[in-house]
Amino acid sequence: MKPGRDKTPTRWQRACHECDLLLTGRLAPPGQKLLCPRCNATLHRNAHNSIRYTAALSLTGLLLFIPSATLPLLRFSIFAIGAENTLLNGVMSLFDAGYIWLSTLVLFCSVLAPLGKFLLLAFICWGSGWAFLDRPVGAAVRWYQHLKEWGMLDVYMLGILVALIKMSDLGKMEVEPGLYCFVAMMLVANLTTLSFDPHAVWDRLAQRRAHRTRAATAGGLP
Amino acid sequence: MNRAQKALQQGLTSCLCCHQLVALPAAGRCRCPRCGARVHGRIDGSLMLTWALTITGALLLLPANMLPVMTVIYLASGEPSTIISGVMQLYHAGLWGIALIVFVASIAVPVMKLVGLTLLLIQIQLPLPLNPRQAMVLYRVVSGIGRWSLLDLFMISILVALVDMGAVAQVAAGPGSTAFATVVVITMLAARSFDPRLIWDVYDRRRGMDSTNNNHGAAGNG
Repeated sequence: MKPGRDKTPTRWQRACHECDLLLTGRLAPPGQKLLCPRCNATLHRNAHNSIRYTAALSLTGLLLFIPSATLPLLRFSIFAIGAENTLLNGVMSLFDAGYIWLSTLVLFCSVLAPLGKFLLLAFICWGSGWAFLDRPVGAAVRWYQHLKEWGMLDVYMLGILVALIKMSDLGKMEVEPGLYCFVAMMLVANLTTLSFDPHAVWDRLAQRRAHRTRAATAGGLP
Repeated sequence: MNRAQKALQQGLTSCLCCHQLVALPAAGRCRCPRCGARVHGRIDGSLMLTWALTITGALLLLPANMLPVMTVIYLASGEPSTIISGVMQLYHAGLWGIALIVFVASIAVPVMKLVGLTLLLIQIQLPLPLNPRQAMVLYRVVSGIGRWSLLDLFMISILVALVDMGAVAQVAAGPGSTAFATVVVITMLAARSFDPRLIWDVYDRRRGMDSTNNNHGAAGNG
């Protein structure tokens, strides 16, 4: 009767990952948060329709990534000469000037990590529907947890604002269309992070596994 | 009497990656059956690693603040500016809001992170009074704010591409920026290698020593 997904035969169902307190409750009700009673850590945040929203949002983010990485973000001009800035050419100029480590870090935090987050989430949410992708999806969730804090689009946005104000007395600063796409991508990235709930994915995988074992035993009986 | 149950005493632990409750084998480490991440009771060598990274970060903070991070050349004049002098320039230009943001992001946050981590480590290792709830607040602040110090580096990478007009105006990065980038990465890694569950281990152990009718307060703690 019971799906054999809990290997431990105890009444404990989870331990707080920040203070190691054993707890009986496992998941938060939809739309609410589960906090650790001892240390106040957020144990689980159950977003509404997590997988569907995240699937849609990550796809939106991927689409928005194309214009925000290729179109210029800002244009700065003094007298008649001007220069434009895209997400990548700042990295290129730093690399050309010999700051390899710095340019790698900027590239990773402002381009690769956000792109990787969108790709992983899209793969997790769309791929969790197929049984043969169970293992890659599990690995993708793990990589996402490692990559999560390195995507820094919001910090980059603040950097753009500071640059905009700092240079506005030297010359003329113009906002280019790429910046609007970038702002949209940043908002979508934050929404995606908020709506993604790994427990929904784990539950989906566990349910399918239980279903499969039930089907296998039912098929083996007669 | 009614003490909170700790997972490690029951031979259980929470997978840090997917928060699944895992029964630890006698060896003390295994792979999480759900996500495949390495699971151990506490992060291996957490205190030592955090100390090492914190000290490295503190040492690197010196070159990061003394060497110039950026040179703005405008009409063939300009001199290298360090992080602090950049903030002062913004302040004297009347942009005190931006000056405050840059000050908080690139001076206050790294220093606060290093001081906070040192406080946490000292509280755990020395017999100092420890309020675990306050320590947890400190831990969460320290691990949450770290990414914002990359603001200055993003701004430099934007300006380097944007203000590139030869003799009229040019922005070049300076050697301090490499050191600063390393400080940010090192402190982020330090915050990640710190295991907050150690705070509660020490708290329980000390409380166990105070009350005489306690049997196994510090069992199984290396």
